[in-house]
Order: sequence, then structure tokens, then C-alpha cells
Amino acid sequence: MLEYLALPLAVLLFPGGLFALAFGLVLKGADRRVAARLQRRVGPPLLQPVFDLVKLAAKRTMVPDVAFRPVFLGAPIIGTVAMMLAAALVPIAGVYAPDPRLGDLLVLLYLLAVPAVAMMVAGSASGSPFGAIGFSREMVLMLAYEGPLLLVVGAVAVKTGSFSLTDIVAYQQTHGANLLDPVLWPALVAFMAFFPANLGVAPFDIPEAETEVLEGPLLEYSGPALGLFKMMSAVKAVVVLGLGIALFLPTGPEGALGLLVHAAKMLVLVLAGMTLLRTSVGRMRIDQAFAFFLKWPLALAAASFAVALAFA
Amino acid sequence: MGFMPKDIIKGIAARSPWLYRINAGSCNGCDVELATTACIPRYDVERLGCQYCGSPRHADIVLITGPLTARVKDKVLRLYEEIPDPKVTVAVGICPISGGVFRESYAVCGPIDKYIPVDVNVPGCPPRPQAILEGIAQAIEIWKTRL
Amino acid sequence: MNFLGILMRNLAQGPSTEAFPFGEATTPKGLRGRVHFDAAACMGCRLCEQVCAPGAIRFEKRKEGLGFLLWHNSCCFCGLCQHCCPVDAIALTEDWHLAHPESEKFAMVEEGLLPNVACAGCGKETLSIGVNVATLAFQPTAEELAQLHALCPACRRKASAAMQAARKDAGTGGQS
Repeated sequence: MLEYLALPLAVLLFPGGLFALAFGLVLKGADRRVAARLQRRVGPPLLQPVFDLVKLAAKRTMVPDVAFRPVFLGAPIIGTVAMMLAAALVPIAGVYAPDPRLGDLLVLLYLLAVPAVAMMVAGSASGSPFGAIGFSREMVLMLAYEGPLLLVVGAVAVKTGSFSLTDIVAYQQTHGANLLDPVLWPALVAFMAFFPANLGVAPFDIPEAETEVLEGPLLEYSGPALGLFKMMSAVKAVVVLGLGIALFLPTGPEGALGLLVHAAKMLVLVLAGMTLLRTSVGRMRIDQAFAFFLKWPLALAAASFAVALAFA
Repeated sequence: MGFMPKDIIKGIAARSPWLYRINAGSCNGCDVELATTACIPRYDVERLGCQYCGSPRHADIVLITGPLTARVKDKVLRLYEEIPDPKVTVAVGICPISGGVFRESYAVCGPIDKYIPVDVNVPGCPPRPQAILEGIAQAIEIWKTRL
Repeated sequence: MNFLGILMRNLAQGPSTEAFPFGEATTPKGLRGRVHFDAAACMGCRLCEQVCAPGAIRFEKRKEGLGFLLWHNSCCFCGLCQHCCPVDAIALTEDWHLAHPESEKFAMVEEGLLPNVACAGCGKETLSIGVNVATLAFQPTAEELAQLHALCPACRRKASAAMQAARKDAGTGGQS
């Protein structure tokens, strides 16, 4: 009986579902607090994203007349569910190994694309011109960053010889973390450029820009539907960071200490890769971001991929 | 959420009021002070859990500046209806409260409470950022009762 | 790379946020805040009403005297009234805690009354002279001020002439 429950529990409770949500919200809170301190402000309390979610649950969702209602309300649900499933797919070394029936790295990549598509579709379904602009910009940005992501993942997979994240983690536990392998350093740099764009953080927060497109796809959302989008974004952060850690530095102790070390790695990645970046730069234009991703991150990831392929 | 006491939920939800600015024909002085209150480190509104949102649908506390000029009256009224309840309206500066220095102008449609239910007034021309913060704090108290 | 140094310096220096509303706020000296009206000093010239930019000051002749009314929700805190008042009867304090709920909108006033007095000389109802202007004009002693205070302008002219004559006599009397 318990074996049947293991899979749903993994998706709903740990490491997907509630755990990923809670952890993602705390990471966001830490990001906001440290960003404020970097700007010599006091900043909101650590649990502020939780308060935001509770408040959004207390308001009502207004659906515009011109919106396509099933998609308008369904997009955030699909995005959040996809992310919770994806969180159950990411291994935490020594603590959690995903069930092989759930899927491997390729399924994770597909699931990672779902939130961006949900955002795009929400933008077009909301019927507002700002939503349409957000839709097109999100699409362009996604085209830009998917390329480097695929090549980074490909480089690590080629080096390991398998597309299963469990195998990749196991390989690194015997052969040393990929972080220490010079062949994969360009891939690491490409990943560090990819993940702010995926999480919608400056300088790549173009589709959701407040001052330019009035929050783009999220313009017409309010109440619990908006709360679902915020949840989706929090869990996506956990998934993407977990993926990065699994690809490059999964080694660590077992058990509860391993969980703490994993959390600490995620925190360091958020603070160094996201907070420092977003407090120091402004926003790029969409054409600048597109050109940027098609130059250095793509080239670096391709270089890693080619060298890994040559040495395989 | 029937299994948790309503007061706890309300108490938590009240810690995240989102601000939205409407410029109803203002000279921009009060808007500059609002931007100051939001952006510069000296008067951090994020401590209170507030953040400025770009969409009216995300707003909880509406900050209105400017006497309601004839030109923007319909648009402001329509925009106000787009903001979901429960919301609290704060009139920033003397212009929305009484028409300010433009009171007897042919282009001014009078104090804003002729058209919109206002909850808190913050007089000043423009009011100090600290006075605006005080007005926002009072508005948060009123908002708690409406959640 | 300069900005990294700035960010680290910011972290080290800590927040520069003012403590308000969780603590005291600094108020600069001379901040133009709530208006204070001194009815005893006012002489009813109504210059402040003339120069008030948004027309927030109203004087009203009532049975009891001359009423002064200033509505803070119409006042733009320019300070012209304070600048133009010849007798310093109106001044802007440093109190900026003016935010109020809508129900108190019409209670944000500064009121004052220059009361009518019955003239001690001729019995007519008249506005008494402001303390400051009397002090400026006559340099009176306390009892002279009390005497001038309860007179109409015509009787006051006669009384002050008598006072000046008495002073001159006392002066020459002392010298000789």
C-alpha cells in the first residue's frame, strides 16, 4: 500500500508540492531581503511572499469579458501542477532519488517549458494588448534561452552517457562533481546566464516588466489565479536551481544534513546568481536579450557540448 | 479556508498591501513624492509589506493624486472600477481632497469624493514622504477591517 | 565591476532607512506644517485672506466678532500668510502629522475669533485692537494697554492722544 502512496506523496509533499512551494517562497523572501540590504534599505520580512500568497487567496479573481475563460483560468493551474511534478523529478543527492517511472531529464526539460508556455498562453487569453506583447516577448525570450539550456544538458548527458538524472548524480558521486571538470566550465557559465532568464529576473525580466508592458501576461490576473502564478514561479525556482545543482554539484552528505547542504547550495546560487545580478543591472530590451543569448551562452554551451562529445 | 480562524488569515493577509497610483490630472508634485516614498532607501515602504504594482488588478491601496480634471475624469472612473474589492482609497495632496490651488478652474471636476469613496486624506502640497507613509499606515488599518 | 564594490559597501554600511513609522522621524527646522492662528495678536486687516493662494482662509463678520477660518485641506502650506502678516498673528508650525480619515475631513480647521467688545468710551460694539499692533504703535504699559484694548477707534484716538500728552508732561516734569 505504501509503495502506491510513495509517488503521489513525492509529487504533493516532498520534494514536490508543499516542500518545494515552501522552500521556493523562503528563497524568494531571502532574495528580496538581501536585495534590499544591498540597496541600503531594510526590506520586507523573510516570509513576505507567504503573506502575499495568503492575501491573494483572500481577494477575488476578476475575469475580463474579452478573455477566453477556460484558458485564462486553466493556464495557471496547469503551470503550477507541471512545476510540482517537475520538482518530484529532481534528485537531491543522498536524500531523494526520483522514481524512474516518473521520467528522466528529457521529461524534466519538457516540464520546464510548461510554465513559460502557460504564461504566454495566459497573456494571449487575457485579451488585452499588453498581454499580447507579453506573450510575444516571452516567446522570443524562450526561444533564446532554450538553445543554451539544451546544449548544457546535452554536454552533461554526453559526458555521463545517460539522460537519467539519477545516473548523472551517481556518476558525479564516483567521478567527482562536474563543477571541477574544466570541460564543463563553459557550460556552467552558460547555465548561470540561462537561469535568471528562466526565472524572470533582471536583466531578463522583459515579459513581466512593470513599467513597460504593465506586467504583460499577468496584467488581467487578480486574486487566487495570480496567486497560482506566484506559486508556479516559486516552485520553478526550486526546480531550476535543483536541476543546476544536480548537473554540476550534487555531492554532499546523506540524510537530513544532506537536505540542509542542498538548501544552502540553493541559497548561495540564488544570492550570488540572482540577487547580485538583479540589484546591479537594469533591464535589457528584448532584441538585446535575444542577441545576447544567441552569442555567448550558446557559443559556450556548444563548445562544452562539442568537447564532451569529442572526449566521450 | 474554513478550518483556520478567519482572524489569523486576515492578520496575515493584511501584511501585504499592494499600492497602485492613479494620477488624476496632478501637477506631478505628489507623484514625485510617491515615487520617492517607494524608491529611495530612506523611506522604504517594503518594510510594511507594500510594493508598487503595475496593474490595477493587483492593487489593494489606491493612491490618487491630482484634482479630477475634465480630461481624465472618465478614464479615472473606469480605471477605479477595474480595481478589485476590497480596496482602500487614499487621496494624496490637497488637490483630490478639495481641488487644491486649482479649485475654481473650469477644467477641474471638483473634489474626488464626489465620484469615488475616499477613505484617508493626506493634506500637503505636496505632503512629506513621512506624512504619506502615515496615511498609508492608516489605510492599512482600514483595509484590515475590510478583508 | 565598480558596482560590485558599491554593493559590498552597501551591505557593510547597513540600511539607511529612517525609523518612521516604527520610530521618530526627523523634522527639519522651519518645516511648514499645521497653521497656528493667534486671535489676540490679530488686528483683522485680512491681508492673509488676500494673499492666500488657494483661498483657504476665510474671515466672517459675525455677531460675536470677526471669525477666522482656515481649512487645512485647502491650504497649500506656502507660508504667504505668515510672510505678509504685519503683526505675526498667523504662523506655520512644524507639525506635519495631518493624515486623517475621510470622516474628519471638515474637522481639519484652524479657527479663531476676534471678539466684539462694547467700547468703554461710547458703548459702540467694536473689534478690540490687536495686542501686537497696539504694542508696536503705542509702546503702552500694561494698564495703558488694558485701557486701549476696550475702546473703539474714535475713542482710542482721543485716549492715545491724552496718553502721549501725559508722557510728554511726565518727561519734561522729570527733567525740570
